[in-house]
Amino acid sequence: MALLLRTLGRQGVCLSKPHYHVLYRHAAPMGTTAKEEMNKFWAKNSRLNRPMSPHITIYKWSIPMMMSITHRGTGVGLSGAISAFAMAALILPGNYTHYLDLIHSLSVGPFLIGLAKFGIAFPLSYHTYNGIRHLYWDIGKGFKIPEVYRTGYTVIGLSVVTSLALILM
Amino acid sequence: MAAIVRLSSVCRRGVKPLFYQSTLLVRPVVVFHKEQQPHPLTARIHSSPPLYAGSDSNAASLHWTAERVLSIALLALGPVAYFSPGPVIDYSLAAALTLHGHWGLGQVLTDYVHGDTKVKLASAGLFVLSTVTFAGLCYFNYNDVGICNAIALLWSK
Repeated sequence: MALLLRTLGRQGVCLSKPHYHVLYRHAAPMGTTAKEEMNKFWAKNSRLNRPMSPHITIYKWSIPMMMSITHRGTGVGLSGAISAFAMAALILPGNYTHYLDLIHSLSVGPFLIGLAKFGIAFPLSYHTYNGIRHLYWDIGKGFKIPEVYRTGYTVIGLSVVTSLALILM
Repeated sequence: MAAIVRLSSVCRRGVKPLFYQSTLLVRPVVVFHKEQQPHPLTARIHSSPPLYAGSDSNAASLHWTAERVLSIALLALGPVAYFSPGPVIDYSLAAALTLHGHWGLGQVLTDYVHGDTKVKLASAGLFVLSTVTFAGLCYFNYNDVGICNAIALLWSK
């Protein structure tokens, strides 16, 4: 008997579908959007001058945490570098080869040149490989903790190797 | 009574109690509720997530998918730029890099900036930055050596 009642009431059975209800045409879904709820939350926080709970100061740092913020940091950094380059292209007089020759003429030692190249290559490599790891998560794979660490170490290893390879190119 | 099989677990659907009417969830409104038609993808491309999206809009999920598609496209552009550099790749890179950066910084903004006016200001600032970046890269591609050549020249140091 209970089984019969539950079968009838189960979602997906004709009678329980909303568009069969008489009142549907005159109704609008109730409730606020997530965005409105978030705004209400933050407005209340600032109004009551609530202190923020300690988080990064007390929580034990882990490899996944550090890799995540590094992904964000390299992303922001790379974006900033591209924007700076674009603005320089618009504002500075003279063309690219002119400024390149200027840098050449500074006769910086090979070590510093290598360091500068590493400074460009590593963020790019890391962000690319970790980006692929993110896409892997986006298709729903690799969420088990050992897998997270394994793919994480792979990303770090590949980034270092690729950066070194790029410097030597 | 024989063993009760949990149909919900078999059918992987939530069980709705019999007398729980969905009409209890809705506010009776005099205004006629228009049926939502799914918009074609081309009509829904935004350069930033729209702040005005209603509660039953799928704009956010389309934006998410677009972000991933762009990431994959940018990944593909890398080797293509290396093996066959040229103006087509230069402009494609300019567009893909700028948009990927714009959307990425948009997410950073969403995470750390709160409050309607602050969000609006920051979004406007980001829009200006991305526009200037794209303009600058296109200018560089047109009037100077172009992105692919620039990287090659820089690296040959």
